[in-house]
Amino acid sequence: MKPAPFEYVTAETTEAAVAALERFEGNARCLAGGQSLVPLLNMRLLRPAAVIDLNRLSGLDHVTVDDGRVRVGALVRYSTLETSALVAERIPLLARAVPFVGDRQIRNRGTLGGALCHADPAGEMALAAVTLGASLRAVGPDGVREVPADDFFQGPYTTALAPAEVLTEVAFLDGRGAVAAVAEHARRHGDFAIVAIAAAGLPGPGDSWRWVRIGLGGVAPRPLYAARASALLAGTRLEPKAVRAAAEACLADADPASDIRASAEYRRHLIPVFVERVLAELRERRRGGTR
Amino acid sequence: MDKLPWVGVSVKRKEDERLLRGAGRFLDDLDDTVALHAAIGRCPYPHARIRGIDPGGALEMAGVEAVLLGRDVVARTEPTNVLRPFPGAATTAYYAMAHPVARYEGEPVVAVAARDRYEAEDALERIAIDWEPLPHVVDAEEALRSGSPLLFDQVPSNLLAASTVKAGDPDAAFRQAAAVVKGKLRINRVTGLPIETRGLLARYSDQTRTLEVWSSTQTPHLVRAQLAHVLRMAESDIRVIAPDVGGGFGIKMCVYPEDVVVCLLAIDIGRPVKWVEDRVEHFRGCTHAREAVHELELAGSADGTLTALRDRYVIDAGAYNSPFGPPMLTNLMLPGPYRLRDGEIERRVALTNKVPVGPYRGYGQPESNFVREVLLDRLARKLGQDPADLRRKNLLRPDELPFQNLTGATYDSGDYVRCLDLALSRVGYDEVRAGQAAWRREHRYVGVGVSCYAEFTGYPSSAFLGRTGAGFGAYESVTIRMDRAGRAAIYTGVSTFGQGMETTFAQVCASSLGLEPADITIYGGDSRGTPYSVGGFASRTMIAGAGAIATATGEIRAKMLRLAGHLLGVAPEHLEVAAGVVRRTDDPSVQLSIREVSEAAFLGHRLPPGDDPGLEATAYHDPPASAFGYGSVAARVEVDPRSGAFDLQRYVLVHDCGTQVNPMIVEGQIHGGIAQGLAAALFEELQYDRDTGQLVNGTLVDYFAPSAADLPRFELDHLETPAPATSLGVKGVGEGGTIGAAAAVANAIGDALAPFGVELDRLPITAESVWRALEAARSRPAAAVN
Amino acid sequence: MSSRHRIRVTVNGRAYERDVQGRRLLVDFLRHDLGLYGTHVGCEQGVCGACTVLLDGQVVKSCLMLAPQADGRTLTTVEGLAGRGELHPVQEAFREAHGLQCGYCTPGFLLSAVALADRGVVLEGKSLRAELAGNLCRCTGYQNIVEAVERYLRQTVGSRRG
Repeated sequence: MKPAPFEYVTAETTEAAVAALERFEGNARCLAGGQSLVPLLNMRLLRPAAVIDLNRLSGLDHVTVDDGRVRVGALVRYSTLETSALVAERIPLLARAVPFVGDRQIRNRGTLGGALCHADPAGEMALAAVTLGASLRAVGPDGVREVPADDFFQGPYTTALAPAEVLTEVAFLDGRGAVAAVAEHARRHGDFAIVAIAAAGLPGPGDSWRWVRIGLGGVAPRPLYAARASALLAGTRLEPKAVRAAAEACLADADPASDIRASAEYRRHLIPVFVERVLAELRERRRGGTR
Repeated sequence: MDKLPWVGVSVKRKEDERLLRGAGRFLDDLDDTVALHAAIGRCPYPHARIRGIDPGGALEMAGVEAVLLGRDVVARTEPTNVLRPFPGAATTAYYAMAHPVARYEGEPVVAVAARDRYEAEDALERIAIDWEPLPHVVDAEEALRSGSPLLFDQVPSNLLAASTVKAGDPDAAFRQAAAVVKGKLRINRVTGLPIETRGLLARYSDQTRTLEVWSSTQTPHLVRAQLAHVLRMAESDIRVIAPDVGGGFGIKMCVYPEDVVVCLLAIDIGRPVKWVEDRVEHFRGCTHAREAVHELELAGSADGTLTALRDRYVIDAGAYNSPFGPPMLTNLMLPGPYRLRDGEIERRVALTNKVPVGPYRGYGQPESNFVREVLLDRLARKLGQDPADLRRKNLLRPDELPFQNLTGATYDSGDYVRCLDLALSRVGYDEVRAGQAAWRREHRYVGVGVSCYAEFTGYPSSAFLGRTGAGFGAYESVTIRMDRAGRAAIYTGVSTFGQGMETTFAQVCASSLGLEPADITIYGGDSRGTPYSVGGFASRTMIAGAGAIATATGEIRAKMLRLAGHLLGVAPEHLEVAAGVVRRTDDPSVQLSIREVSEAAFLGHRLPPGDDPGLEATAYHDPPASAFGYGSVAARVEVDPRSGAFDLQRYVLVHDCGTQVNPMIVEGQIHGGIAQGLAAALFEELQYDRDTGQLVNGTLVDYFAPSAADLPRFELDHLETPAPATSLGVKGVGEGGTIGAAAAVANAIGDALAPFGVELDRLPITAESVWRALEAARSRPAAAVN
Repeated sequence: MSSRHRIRVTVNGRAYERDVQGRRLLVDFLRHDLGLYGTHVGCEQGVCGACTVLLDGQVVKSCLMLAPQADGRTLTTVEGLAGRGELHPVQEAFREAHGLQCGYCTPGFLLSAVALADRGVVLEGKSLRAELAGNLCRCTGYQNIVEAVERYLRQTVGSRRG
């Protein structure tokens, strides 16, 4: 179980990475954290002509706030997201989602951009990005473009990136004041989610919520922003009736499949259970002031 | 024997320092600067014929030294013999490479030796194989139906072996029963999954025509015997060495096809060849374990007496009788630690297009425990009794032991009821019972489950194994050699794979020779220079090994006494061996140090008449009987009835493994057994796709081996009833932890969800399977709920 | 063809310069090129953690990195904990608590424990178990490993604070 031969290329700038991708005409893979890519190389399930190492790219490991947006470089590692005070304050959902990812070693290497480009339908980073309506910046031979998260994920392990494009940055709306929660069921600690439900909301007057956004992971070929459920919850107090309606709307959006971890039937069963759970946690966190 | 000062002491392990420093030497750590590296090509189909194979592309590659094909292997070797065959089992010629028909996904079909593993794998991809897929079957019950695809022409209906045992009059007991419970219960296919995979380094000398083999194995001598048979060589021309072994658990105890392949490559090329199994190969090349389907019935009388058992079960053996063979103890231990005399058990062993099944920690006992104990709870519910009370009523009492169970095992000693009661009190059984109603009103579903076992450890005798057709004996052996400095070395064929044998052997030896464990060096795992050995498995190493050490040290001690007596001018019968000295029993000031006695023995200048120089002995010990450990598990869970998820809150095991040589190591063995028991019970399952016949989850990513975060803290307690038949009174301890795990958790969940009438009948137990059982219970007519 | 690269790494305080193929796994480089066999291979799938090493002080799985990625970096393997001297406190804690059996997974656990201590956190029970989830053991049932790490963290971090 050793990788097939490939050319290892280090890119020191985004432009160099794009040029290298062009040179190998779609038969190259970018290496960021490598925590999903390298096992596939080892098993020879992927056999690219070249592996382009992005880890020496400078300037893609930032977390900054500007103009109502929080910009996170594609090479920011999970462990940074986990400990960043800025992330905890401005993108609390991302902070809540990170501990569900893999294990300590994986979080030390894996990157936000790598996770998004891997596009695992059960991936927590992709789930957070669609739930929060993040915008993804891609740099390619024709320049820079912004792709809404909802358009970025096209199916299992498939993204909207063109063969020579590199994901450089993810912009989240500044979520200061928002409360966030993630509820997830997995076969074992840190394993891929069978069902992952993410929710973020901004407290409004009284017990009401100005807005709530819900996302669904592991229950469709790609992570879903549950638009109807989110709309149903805006302005409510997350009272039982509203929660039930949202759970039903989520279920209607889902299209789960069966795999080694769970059957489609069980995933469907879990969706409303976990929507209720995540919204209960949201209320709980607001009350407890733990965001 | 005198008092044994080091037996029963938690001595820190002798193995640890090298392992902690990263200085252990495992198979892949052996010097590989000159070795070639093998990679093995495997059948991608569950069943297929090789129409043609063209290795040309590989041979042209730089760095490739040889390609080995199945047809050459079949011509040059014998099929592997089965060390522990089922009586009457059909022959399934298992060659080291399939030719022309491969019968499971992963069966070796071609091999390459190259400069390094990377290049060897590159070369494999250049070998063109023309496959003709054949019909397959991957379900054991389906395999036995007429019309199913056959694996071997000479094995009709894929039935490898069948047998029935009957004792007493079960038919009458079932007729007269106040209650009968039945269940169809499924045991999952799992594997032992040592963190170190298998591997082999082989070196052949053209000059001496001898083969040296380093193998990550639990049984170097048995591997040598099997290699000699398969390679048509003399055993004396083969040396097998087990270096440090990174876990065994039963799956590293025989020759595997790849071992033979690597030896053939080394012989052909005349250079050392190394092969290290990778994890993808491991799931497809290393024996699987346990898969079975039971149809079990229990009969009970109105007062809660268990009166009879009837079981009809199928073991899924995979595609061949593996070189050791599938598990044998399901039958023997199915009656459990209960007063049960009437029963009938029909066992069928089916061939399927899957990886062959072999031994794994427990060897049939976790299987029989799960099916029996789960049904016992159903029987209790049906009779309106508490499951713990029902067990207490039927457990054998100390004055009833020894007791021969209905399948012929003779339980030797212990207090089964006290063991159960300790477990119940430790887990807070009564408190849970008292609190359950109130919790349920708050929609909290807390349950407690128990499971009791008696455990077969060691083998009754070599003669017993001979009668059952085994290819090995029950004994173990050692050579113990003192040196001039008064230290001792033990030469043993047993290898070291985590069980702490270097330490426990040293404790027993030191105790007998007046030394300290630090004075003892263990040379293990090398077939050269060690007496014929069976190896480390069947919870037998200490049972048989301690006996051999006792005999050998007894001889050495007697000679030390003669020597010292001669030197001191005292009759040997007035001398004794104590810490570091030989001294007069009535006047300890008259003494010689063991160092002085040893010096005298090796100088040979002043020996007693009739004695030769030297101070060493070789001894074999064949235990006169098995030893029976036993235990009771009590588990407490809380279940979320919406998702089926459950939290294993408490896990208590009270057990009796007789005399404990090293209590620290005993606890470690039990911890590890429990973890593997729970891993198989709650997480792991090797799944095959019915349509494609492929192993669906043959990676560590998809085989859900639990981490520390997935398991609870275990709580242990011990009873210590010395085994009557073994030296020191030891009973085996390596496997016991696995046995009761699945049933205890299943029963706890069943108890928590008793208001719903949930019945769990398959492993592993997952949140989804609990949810399914809940759904099934909800859709069952109320009358059918027991 | 796999590309070739000259890399310079510091491992356990010693500088090495070697030529490697682009596809060579870091764990193979450490073991077979540098002879540091204490780092083990268990799955090459990033699950078992037997190949855990410290990369600039952080635990990583060396089966999931390519050797050329380590160019210019500093690594610590199990051989670097105690050198040839007395056992490192983490090793001592594992010995005392019987935190190892076959010893194959042990180097990975030791390095995970050292990285925890370096972060200055004293964890126990479930939260510690979660931190150790990247290392699999099949022998010990984890109980004595958890106990060993608890003991080590209390001693090391506790005394540093005290």
